[in-house]
Amino acid sequence: MNNPTRDYYLFRTEHLSKLYPDGQVHALEDVNIAIRRGEYVAIMGPSGSGKSTLLNMLGALDRPTAGEVYFEGRPLSKIRNLDRLRSTKFGFVFQSFHLLPVLTALENVQVPMFETPLCAAERVRKARELLALVGMEHRTDHLPDKLSVGERQRVAIARALANDPIALLADEPTGNLDSLSAEGVMTLFAELHTEREMTIVLITHDEHFAQRAQRIIRMQDGRVKSDVYSERRRQRTPLPPFAV
Amino acid sequence: MAVAVGAVVALVGIAGGFERSFLAIYQRQQVDILVQQRGIKQRLTSVLDAKLGEKIARIPGVKQVNSGLVDFIALDELGPVGVLVQGWEADSPLMQALDILPGGRRLTSDDAQKLLLGERLAISLDKKVGDQLTIFDDETYTVAGIFHSPSVYENGSMVVLLRDLQRFMGRPGQVSGFAVITEHAADEDQIRRICREIESLGKNIEAVPTAEFVNSTNEIRFVHAMAWITSVVALIIGAVGMLNTMIMSVFERTREIGILRAIGWRRRRIVRMILMEAVLLSLAGGVLGALAAMALTNFLGRQPAAAGMIDPRLAPSVILLGFAIALGVGVLGAAYPAYRGARLLPTEALRHE
Repeated sequence: MNNPTRDYYLFRTEHLSKLYPDGQVHALEDVNIAIRRGEYVAIMGPSGSGKSTLLNMLGALDRPTAGEVYFEGRPLSKIRNLDRLRSTKFGFVFQSFHLLPVLTALENVQVPMFETPLCAAERVRKARELLALVGMEHRTDHLPDKLSVGERQRVAIARALANDPIALLADEPTGNLDSLSAEGVMTLFAELHTEREMTIVLITHDEHFAQRAQRIIRMQDGRVKSDVYSERRRQRTPLPPFAV
Repeated sequence: MAVAVGAVVALVGIAGGFERSFLAIYQRQQVDILVQQRGIKQRLTSVLDAKLGEKIARIPGVKQVNSGLVDFIALDELGPVGVLVQGWEADSPLMQALDILPGGRRLTSDDAQKLLLGERLAISLDKKVGDQLTIFDDETYTVAGIFHSPSVYENGSMVVLLRDLQRFMGRPGQVSGFAVITEHAADEDQIRRICREIESLGKNIEAVPTAEFVNSTNEIRFVHAMAWITSVVALIIGAVGMLNTMIMSVFERTREIGILRAIGWRRRRIVRMILMEAVLLSLAGGVLGALAAMALTNFLGRQPAAAGMIDPRLAPSVILLGFAIALGVGVLGAAYPAYRGARLLPTEALRHE
């Protein structure tokens, strides 16, 4: 019989630890969290608290020193093709955008699609649709350095959506943006969550933006300090326990 | 990349041209047997009695005997670079076989203090037919004609009458050797028989079939060795340069590899992309390098100081070699960092500066 938690939780971590050998720093220490499918979660905490490390573990960008990350109930350590998982299930948005500087906005959005069976014409059509979705349809042929930082992040979000992921993992996506651009990005995230029912895991330093999520995980010194529903949920009740 | 390919193509090409030109001197003469002093591997130091030619001519099967004297002289106009001077009889088939450019003529036995200049030497000296040139210390010779030869060395040489060169060298009645044309060019046995009969004419005579002479002469061996050494050095320097360029260029892209890995590109796709780029880069480097090498050898070949020493024509095989090396080293140089970059965890690659 299938584990009943399998589909309920999209991500789950079990005694997750990450020790960086240089300097013996515990970036993560015995972290146990679970994120439900379609949930919008903000992760907060001071620099060095382990937020990015946790996000990287969830997104299979890094390997834990101990413990396990489960995605849809499957342990990541047992999944052979993590590239395919990242390509088809996750969309990543980084603080510094990580766009390829020699490619136009339209080309950057197409990059993840090379791992799909889409033909060139379909890739272009889809990339145009995604750029239109993020309000960048008028800047398709611009190189990243010809775009404002806000526009770059919108292109990066369009790229993250290229293969219709079920989870959007964003590491301080507003960190380099002015307040207006940041507001635009957060509005876009809210739309993706409500209209596409995407699971969103957002790292932010901004309390105001964090409160737009359903739930806020606060971290300190590599550990989870608190894990509560946000004011948006208007509930202060503890989260339901999850089976480990 | 282009610089390294250019260096390899130019150096290997120059070395190859060096060897090719030297062989062409002997091949053009179409002689079957070369006769020189026994134990001497360089024509320059060989001394034989000119009268020996008449005796050789009487051997059955010998069609023609050409005597010749060679020396190197220095010309003020060319600085320290020596110029090859060949002394031939006016009626020598070698003289008759010269490809004289329009406006000039061959030397005749009636000529006094006349000479022929190789095409490249004439350009270096800025001389044309009718101009005068002071050689042999203070003797003034008139340019009777300018000749073209497939050998860059002959193009950089001059021809005078045998008697003039004998007088200058203080070797009256002596020659460096004889070039013998037989009636049995294709019959090795007959050629060997004639060689034995020539050698029986005196103790210090050595007669060798041309093909053997070409392979055994010290000049050719030296040129072979030089070509090989130069090529190997050029290859090593070029390969190391190219390898370094490729490794550095891919290492610098580790962060980009991290981005691609993060958004789900498979390792295989990333390695394939980098290798394809390396192939294109190598081919572009090959084209630019070959063009640069052609321009360089052409430029060097036209310099007076290098006249008669560098063949400006690059053999197609050398250019192909340049491409092959560029491609091989380019792919090899890209493969390791591409593999290494693709093996890194995406987070490690993204952290790379």
